[in-house]
Amino acid sequence: MTATVAPFPDRVPQAGAPPGGLPKAPPPPGLAVAAPLPDVIPVRKHRGKVWTYVRRNPTIVVGGVMLLIVFLMALLAPWLGTVDPTALAPAKRTRMPSAQYWFGTDMLGRDVYSRVVYGARVSLLVGFAVAFLASVAGLAVGLVSGMVRWLDGVVMRVVDGMMSIPPILLAIALMALTRGSVQNVIIAITIAEIPRVARLVRGVVLSLREQPYVEAAVTTGTRMPAIIWRHILPNTLAPMTVQATYICASAMITEAILSFIGAGVPPSTPSWGNIMAEGRALWQVKFYIILFPAIFLSMTVLAVNLVGDGLRDALDPRMAKDV
Amino acid sequence: MLGYIGRRILATIPVMAVVGLFVFSLLYFAPGDPAAIIAGDQASPEDIIRIRATLGLDRPFLVRFGEWSWHILHGDLGTSIFTNLPVTTMIGQRVQPTVSLMLVTLVFAIAVAVPLGVVAAWKAGSLIDRLVMGLAVTGFSVPVFVVGYILAYVFALQLGWLPVQGYTPIEQGLWPWLSHLILPAVTLGLVYIALIARVTRATMLDVLSQDYVRTARAKGLAQGPVLFVHALKNAAVPIVTVIGIGIALLIGGAVVTETVFAIPGLGRLTVDAILRRDYPIIQGIVLLFSFVYVLVNLAIDLFYTLLDPRIRY
Repeated sequence: MTATVAPFPDRVPQAGAPPGGLPKAPPPPGLAVAAPLPDVIPVRKHRGKVWTYVRRNPTIVVGGVMLLIVFLMALLAPWLGTVDPTALAPAKRTRMPSAQYWFGTDMLGRDVYSRVVYGARVSLLVGFAVAFLASVAGLAVGLVSGMVRWLDGVVMRVVDGMMSIPPILLAIALMALTRGSVQNVIIAITIAEIPRVARLVRGVVLSLREQPYVEAAVTTGTRMPAIIWRHILPNTLAPMTVQATYICASAMITEAILSFIGAGVPPSTPSWGNIMAEGRALWQVKFYIILFPAIFLSMTVLAVNLVGDGLRDALDPRMAKDV
Repeated sequence: MLGYIGRRILATIPVMAVVGLFVFSLLYFAPGDPAAIIAGDQASPEDIIRIRATLGLDRPFLVRFGEWSWHILHGDLGTSIFTNLPVTTMIGQRVQPTVSLMLVTLVFAIAVAVPLGVVAAWKAGSLIDRLVMGLAVTGFSVPVFVVGYILAYVFALQLGWLPVQGYTPIEQGLWPWLSHLILPAVTLGLVYIALIARVTRATMLDVLSQDYVRTARAKGLAQGPVLFVHALKNAAVPIVTVIGIGIALLIGGAVVTETVFAIPGLGRLTVDAILRRDYPIIQGIVLLFSFVYVLVNLAIDLFYTLLDPRIRY
C-alpha cells in the first residue's frame, strides 16, 4: 500500500481543493477522535530573551554597548557641547580641566575635550575601514592561494616575507613614503594586515578541500565558482569575522602609534594619537592632555576586543573559553 | 635531522629576498630625486640626467635591486641622507639600548607570564583565572604608550622610585642601567605577557587533562612538580613558539617605548628618520629587525627537537 499522507491536510492548499480545505471525513464508528492538531505549534514566549543572551554572552554585550557609546559620540560630536577642535586660543593655553574646559586645553589653547570627542571619528574610521579592506583583500589572496595550487607557493613566500616584517614597522615604512593623512594611514595599515588574513583563509580553504562533501561536489561536476560560493566562503565567514574584530582593534592602536610618533594623521585632524603626541612635550606637568585621549583609546580598543572574544566563543565552540 | 636543518635554513632565503625586495622598493619609489638633490638648485636638466647616469639611477629596477642586494650581503647598508654617515655606523651606535631593553623585557615577561598562565590553568574558572584572563584582555587593549606614560607618571614622577626617562649604558654600573630599564620593560612587556599567559593557560589546560598527569597525581606527587615539571615540559612547544612570534610585538613596541622614555635606541632612530625622511636609515632598520625576527624563529624551530624528542624531521 502506498498511500501518501500529508501531515497537515488542512494546511496544505492543494490544487482543485475547495478553499476551506479538504472536507473532513466522518470518524469511523467506534474510534475515539483525537483533538485536532493546532494550526501553528505555539512558540513559548521568552520574556527574558534579551537577558538570556546577555547572560550567555556577557562580553559581546558589554563590548557592544561600549562601542555603541563611542560610535554615538563620534556621530553626534558637534552636539555634545564641543567647540571647534582646531580653534586656537593662545591666551588660554594649557588650562587645567575645569567646568569650562572639561579636559583642559592644550599648548595651543585648543579644547582637549572637543578634540577627544572628534578624535573618536578617526579611530573608528581607521579601525573599521582597515578591518573591512584587509578582510576583503586577504580573503581574495587566501582563496587564490588555497584554490590555485601552482600560485600557492609564490603567494605564500610573499606572505611569509611580509609577515616577517613586524606590522608596525611595515606601516611606519609605508607611511614614510607618503604624506600623513587618514587615507594613507588606512592604506598602510591595511597592507600590513593583509598577510595575516590571507594565511587564515588559505588554511581554512586547504582543510575544506579535503572534506568529503567538497570532494563530492567536485565529483558531481559542480563548477569551481559554485564550490567556492556554496562550500568554501560560508565556512571562512566565522573565523574571518573574529579575525576582523581583532584587526579592527590592532588598527586603532597602530593608527594611534603612527600619529603619536608623527607619521600618521596630521595635527589638523584631531586623532587620539596626535592629541597625545602634542601632549608629549608637556607630559610631566600637564598629564591630563595625554590621559584623556589615552583613556578613550584604551576603552574603545577594549570594547572591540571584548566583542571579538565574545564572537569567537559564540562562533567557534572548539576555541571557546580556552584561549 | 641535518637535512631538515639545511632545508629550514634554505627556506629563510626566499623570505629574506621578499623582505629585501620590499625594502628596496621603498627607496625606489620614495618621493624626491636623489640626483636632483645632489645637483642642487642651479642645475640644468642635462646636469641632472648626467648625475643620474653616473649614480646608475637610470638603470632598470632589477639591475639596481641586484646591485643593492650585493652591497647588503657585503654589509653595506648605504649612507644616511641626513648625517652622511654609513647606516651601519648609525645603527651600531644605537644598538645597545634597544638590545638591553628587549632582553630585560624578554626575561621579565617570561618570568611573569608563564607562572601566571600555569596558575590560571590550574585554577581554571576561579577568581585567579579570571583575573589573569582579564589582565590578558587589558594588556591587548591598552596601547604601549598609554601604559608607559601612566607608569612613568606614577612611579617616577609621583613616587620618585625610578628615573623618569633616559638611558645609562651598562658600563656605568648594573643598577643605573637596570633602573632606567625597569619601567620601559614593564611597559613593553605588558602585551607580551598577555600573549604568553593566554597561550600558556590554553596549552596547560590541554595537558593537565591527560592521563599521565592523573597518574602523577595518583602516585602522590605534589602539585608543584606536577604543574611545573610534568605538565609544563609538555606544554613547552606552543609556549616557545608564541614567545618567538611575539618578538614582532616587542620590536614594534620598542619604537614607541623608546619615544616615551627618551631612550636613544633603534626605535628612537626610526622615529627621527621618518621625520627627516631619511630612507636609507629606515631601510636598514626594517631589514635588520626583520632579519633578527626571522633568525629567532628559525632558531626556535630548530629548538623544538630539544624540547620534544618525539619531534623528528
